[in-house]
Amino acid sequence: MGAIALNTLLMIVVALSIPGVINRTRSILAGRKGPRLTQHLHNVKLLLNKGAVYSTTTTVLFRIVPTVYLGAAIVAMLFIPVANLYPLISFDGDVICFAYTLALARIAIIFAAMDTGSSFEGMGAAREALYGALIEPAMMIGFATLAMFCGYTSFAEIFEHEQSFNLHYTIIMLLTAFLFVKITFVESGRVPVDDPRTHLELTMIHEVMCLDYSGVDFGMIQIAGWLKTACFSMIAANAIAATCCFYWWFAVPLAILLTGLSVGIVESTQARNKLVRNTTFIVTISALAALIFFIGYLLQLDINI
Amino acid sequence: MFYLYLLLFLSLLVAVIFITPLRFKVWVTTAVIAITALALAVPSIAVLAGAENFKIVEMIGPLFGQESLTIDSLAAIFLLIIAIAGCATLIYSKGYLQQYLDKKSSAHISMHYAALAILIVSMMLVVMSSGGFSFLLAWELMTIASFILILFDAQRAEVMRAALSYLVMMHIGFVFLVAGFTTAYTCCGSASFDALPICFSQGKTILLLILFLLGFGMKAGLFPMHVWLPEAHPAAPSHVSGIMSGVMIKTGVYGIMRVVWQISNLEELHIAGIILLTAGIVTGLWGVILAAVQNDVKRLLAYSSIENIGVIFIGLGISTIARASGNDIVATLALCGALMHTINHSLFKSLLFFGAGNIYSQMHTTLLDRFGGVAKSMPVTAILFLISTIAICALPPLNGFIGEFLIYLGMFNSVRDGMDTLASAAGILSLSLIGGIVVLAFTKLYSTVFLGSPRHHHVAEAEEVDGYRIGAMAIPAAGIILIGTLPQYAVNVVERVSMQLSQSSLSVFGGYINPTLCKVSLTAWLLIIVIALLYKLKSRAQANRTISQGPTWGCGFTSPNIRMQYTGESFSEGLESVATNLTQNTIEGRRVSKSEIFPSSHNYNVRHKDKIDRLFAAWWVELLYIINKRIMALRTGKINNYILFALLFLVLIFVLSLLNLI
Repeated sequence: MGAIALNTLLMIVVALSIPGVINRTRSILAGRKGPRLTQHLHNVKLLLNKGAVYSTTTTVLFRIVPTVYLGAAIVAMLFIPVANLYPLISFDGDVICFAYTLALARIAIIFAAMDTGSSFEGMGAAREALYGALIEPAMMIGFATLAMFCGYTSFAEIFEHEQSFNLHYTIIMLLTAFLFVKITFVESGRVPVDDPRTHLELTMIHEVMCLDYSGVDFGMIQIAGWLKTACFSMIAANAIAATCCFYWWFAVPLAILLTGLSVGIVESTQARNKLVRNTTFIVTISALAALIFFIGYLLQLDINI
Repeated sequence: MFYLYLLLFLSLLVAVIFITPLRFKVWVTTAVIAITALALAVPSIAVLAGAENFKIVEMIGPLFGQESLTIDSLAAIFLLIIAIAGCATLIYSKGYLQQYLDKKSSAHISMHYAALAILIVSMMLVVMSSGGFSFLLAWELMTIASFILILFDAQRAEVMRAALSYLVMMHIGFVFLVAGFTTAYTCCGSASFDALPICFSQGKTILLLILFLLGFGMKAGLFPMHVWLPEAHPAAPSHVSGIMSGVMIKTGVYGIMRVVWQISNLEELHIAGIILLTAGIVTGLWGVILAAVQNDVKRLLAYSSIENIGVIFIGLGISTIARASGNDIVATLALCGALMHTINHSLFKSLLFFGAGNIYSQMHTTLLDRFGGVAKSMPVTAILFLISTIAICALPPLNGFIGEFLIYLGMFNSVRDGMDTLASAAGILSLSLIGGIVVLAFTKLYSTVFLGSPRHHHVAEAEEVDGYRIGAMAIPAAGIILIGTLPQYAVNVVERVSMQLSQSSLSVFGGYINPTLCKVSLTAWLLIIVIALLYKLKSRAQANRTISQGPTWGCGFTSPNIRMQYTGESFSEGLESVATNLTQNTIEGRRVSKSEIFPSSHNYNVRHKDKIDRLFAAWWVELLYIINKRIMALRTGKINNYILFALLFLVLIFVLSLLNLI
């Protein structure tokens, strides 16, 4: 029981810290002092205390969506273990449930965006739907790689035992971690797929979908975004931790730094893709995932390569 | 004797429908079908609960010898599907056909109801028949009845065309079925499904499998035999599309199941599994990509049916492969997944077509980009359609998720165990891609039709439909929610079927599937509770704050108008640019060119046609025309010529028998 509570608590800590680390990394690389590490929490607190403006075009659906979005993200978070701790929900095949719960979040936000009847939000929704469709295979085949190599189909069991040192295992785990860092970029709408700081609605994806949200609703959407990012970076961190030091006190900072630093560095050094290139970029991730699976399959067969 | 009774029953039914007054035709039909459905549902439930197979009648068929009508567990599942969907369809038709009652003649309406009743009865016969003549008879009745149903709006040229092409394609499929049954009969003396193992032991497995796959695949809409679906569904009235797409095409799946399960040679079973899996993957991907680019509600739904058939075949394929390699857990899981998906699809696809019927009857169009904001004028339809949309996207906590979850779980287990890894990985890869694109297709459909602002004044003036239709739609909606939130009980329906196939599946059920689905159900409830709690929290937080309303944020542009909304066409543009080679676009009118600074009014129409259509308009079709013309020259209309032909035929037979050739 204690382990489960600690697990959930740590997931929340990871979710709340990542945006701060990203901002700090970016500001240091840009030579600025940057905002304090908790600035994003203050921003959201401000939002949660505000009233709201709703568009006259929207229906009741628009008001329910933020709760569905956040609810799905919370439930998805409850599947993810932190290294050797234990998550609240765990059963055979929970990897599938995890992916589809996040898909529920995605469909909800797409509906909300389309409900406003705005051309900009429609643009974002269409892109989100396409990129979501193309990244799904990468995620699933990534989970399949883990299942094949660890012999389990639930997150908790996949990451449960520290394996004895094994070169094949290390290779696959590191490759999978790399894959999930890439998926984090796409799923949380970061450069090079999407730029949350852009000032042109025409080129946004995720941010443009919540243009009409304000106050509590917008706060909820922001929190849900953090939770989603935390889930993926925790999976990546678990995969790395499993190869060297499988304890929560190692995995938690790893998860924060892994995403915080990589997103921060990429955002400071790279420009966002042209939108037409995004499809190629995401399909490449899926191809990469299939390749990693295949390497894993060959290694499993113990063929000398 | 049986055939006589059947004929008597059907003609009495038709006669009664024809003589009842116009307003009561629907009730007479509903009563007859409801009684039949109830009479068959009781033994079906008993069989599913563990009773012995229920043999209704045994008879000697005119062609293939001994046959029977039996309810076994597989038939029972399909009977329940047919019973529920049939009753819902009839109740829906009461509301839907109301507007046609004074436009069409009484005979026309009677014909429609008679065909509807015959369709439902014949589908029941198909799943109960043990094979052979009674199966083919019921199959043919089903085809003819659905042909008449599609023809409801026969004065429209495209309806006539669609119905005729349906009839032709179904009969091509029928030829393969006859060939299959005849082959079976010649090698083992019986054409029932139960006798197939004898043929299979004589090394004709793959031949027979291909024959049946072509025959049943034509009905099910397997790639590339799916081309009739997107033509026939938009042509038919919505309740007919609902039952055809939700139930009738499943009889094809049913037939394949019956055939594949009789294979006992493991090597051949493996090949059969690979064939089914490949067919499933290709059909699923093709269906879903084409669905996503459609700009007509009913065509989109028709392509999505093709995709769902693909998903079912992926499940069947994985289960067959796993059975060949002796992996019982995977075989049971994938099989349960496929069967659950069959049940689930019948529920949400009927609901979707009913919803499409509601909006069609109010706005008289099915073109996506004419709608917009229907949720405001038809809120109940919008909610029911939303339920089915989420269900078809296979998202928790609704039923679509359960079937796909079981199939996925089977594939993940197979990858984990290191058996048939590559086949399962291919399945996972394509199923997840299908799942992703389904979300795109259905968010496009739902949001273009129901969300945003009305694009046309018809839409703003639309009214909610009558209680009969809403009531009929509530039946599948209730099923969707029940199966989705309580899957551990719903899955017991398919337990019997999987036990028939392998003895060890009982332990798989008790020890694996039920506990796992319990957890899935808990997750679903957790999701619902968390969302409800959050909503409560949010309303409480907002209670004392200023909540105001305003126009949608136009990003600084001060006079946005309705025509600037994102349309369905633009929603799927990204996917089109990726999948450009799969469709053939027919373009009418002219695009606004980029150099036009002040564009004049333009008319621009794109239709995405299936490239496979070309297969059915290729050189070999032309060749058939020419041959047909030559043969028609023999039809002189003179009796003496015909007598000459008969004589020539007799001489030919005589010569051939002299030479010992026949």
